[in-house]
Amino acid sequence: MAAKSYDNPELNKKLGDRRYHRDQSSAEFSDKILKISRTVANMCYQCGTCTGSCPSAPRSTYRIRLFMRRNVLGLEEEALTDPDLWLCTTCYSCSDRCPRDIAPTDVIMAMRNLAFKRDIVPRNFLQTAQLIYNSGHGVPNNDVNRAARTKLGLTADPPTTHMYPEFLKGIQKILDHYRLKENADRILKGD
Amino acid sequence: MHEYAFFLGCIAPNRYPGCEASSIKTSEKVGIKLLPLKGASCCPAPGAFGSIDLNVWYAMAARNLCLAEEMKKDIALICNGCYKSIYEVNHILKHNEELRAGVNEVLKEIDMEFKGTIDVFHLAELYYDPKICGLQKIRDSITTPLTGAKIACHYGCHLLKPKKERHFGDTENPMWFEELVEALGAETVQYRNKMQCCGAGGGVRGYDIVHALDITNEKMINIQEAGANAITEVCPFCQLQFDRGQIEIKEKFGDVYNIPVLHYNELLGLAQGMSPQDLALDLHAIDCTPFLQKVL
Repeated sequence: MAAKSYDNPELNKKLGDRRYHRDQSSAEFSDKILKISRTVANMCYQCGTCTGSCPSAPRSTYRIRLFMRRNVLGLEEEALTDPDLWLCTTCYSCSDRCPRDIAPTDVIMAMRNLAFKRDIVPRNFLQTAQLIYNSGHGVPNNDVNRAARTKLGLTADPPTTHMYPEFLKGIQKILDHYRLKENADRILKGD
Repeated sequence: MHEYAFFLGCIAPNRYPGCEASSIKTSEKVGIKLLPLKGASCCPAPGAFGSIDLNVWYAMAARNLCLAEEMKKDIALICNGCYKSIYEVNHILKHNEELRAGVNEVLKEIDMEFKGTIDVFHLAELYYDPKICGLQKIRDSITTPLTGAKIACHYGCHLLKPKKERHFGDTENPMWFEELVEALGAETVQYRNKMQCCGAGGGVRGYDIVHALDITNEKMINIQEAGANAITEVCPFCQLQFDRGQIEIKEKFGDVYNIPVLHYNELLGLAQGMSPQDLALDLHAIDCTPFLQKVL
């Protein structure tokens, strides 16, 4: 399942329901977030400085403060299935301004990590991973660029994995260790 | 001569090679030698990889760091996204034994070990640092002052933020980048919400391009209002978002700005007498010619 859109009426209804259902609360959720994010997110007192600093908030329903609340309340399902989770540009403005010295950005990253474990992730993230597996670069070289590089007196391919593909094996071993390529292929195929 | 392993990243070498060429040439004129970091890969992209699995992000960045450790050179780089991956993972692994042990277990499979023996710098901070280069050396290297240029500086996010894990001080209204630009004989402009993100980061450009462009568009409105005739930044990904983004903004929202976007090293190259051809400025989506006619 890739990150879903709000076209899903069931999800829409669930996320629209702002009441607190204790049976949906998971006590371990904030522990997991703490471990991955390495920021003490349960210190949040909901002042809203984060949402006020957020470049994504004025143009969407994404509210970082809401995700911080979901963390404290253990609302794992709600947090991880909300498509807004993927609208954080990771600019860290909220983290610089948080009066509780929390890094809300890192909380979002931790939630995304947990969402990925459930196969919830937008396609473009997986495609970047595939590109790096195959070439070492998230944005690989192309012929137009090779010609331009040569004209500049640079090598047609940069002295990275592009020029030294023998280094790719190491990269692939690292990614295979975490089964990233395998999972990316599987999730993209299932769409 | 101060020598560094030059970490290229992806977008500079593979989309804006002028950034790479100008970095190598301009730095040499101020006493910095950038050496190729053979076999380096994507940093990897902090938005994409960090979001999927932070452990993979640590391990992949550590592999790049190990290559520089083997060279016994500190890393210099020219992209804020790369800075987040390479600088931050270096910092985390130096100070967190548990994470370092986990990463080294994986690196063992490819006969590498993260030792924590090098440091990571953005080339812009080396230019600003009087112990390495400093503003005066920049000024002394200029042959073609950029008179008539009114430049909007975009700092980007990951070089300065989060500030408690960096060393650049104020992130609300810093001015050091303006000083670097003014050293080229250019004028800088102040604009509303200067520190706002370009909109591309965190995987948002790929996930929801219209959302990302809407953020970019807000910046463009503010930059245009201030009367800038060019934008400069220290991040090829921001450059891509502003440069190609203006074409996409025109298609999607109908707004037209035509404000050229140049990496600081490209500007420095122009001021040091490099020609637009030496910088492959023709690869930029927004035509730089009117700006060049004005300042050169």
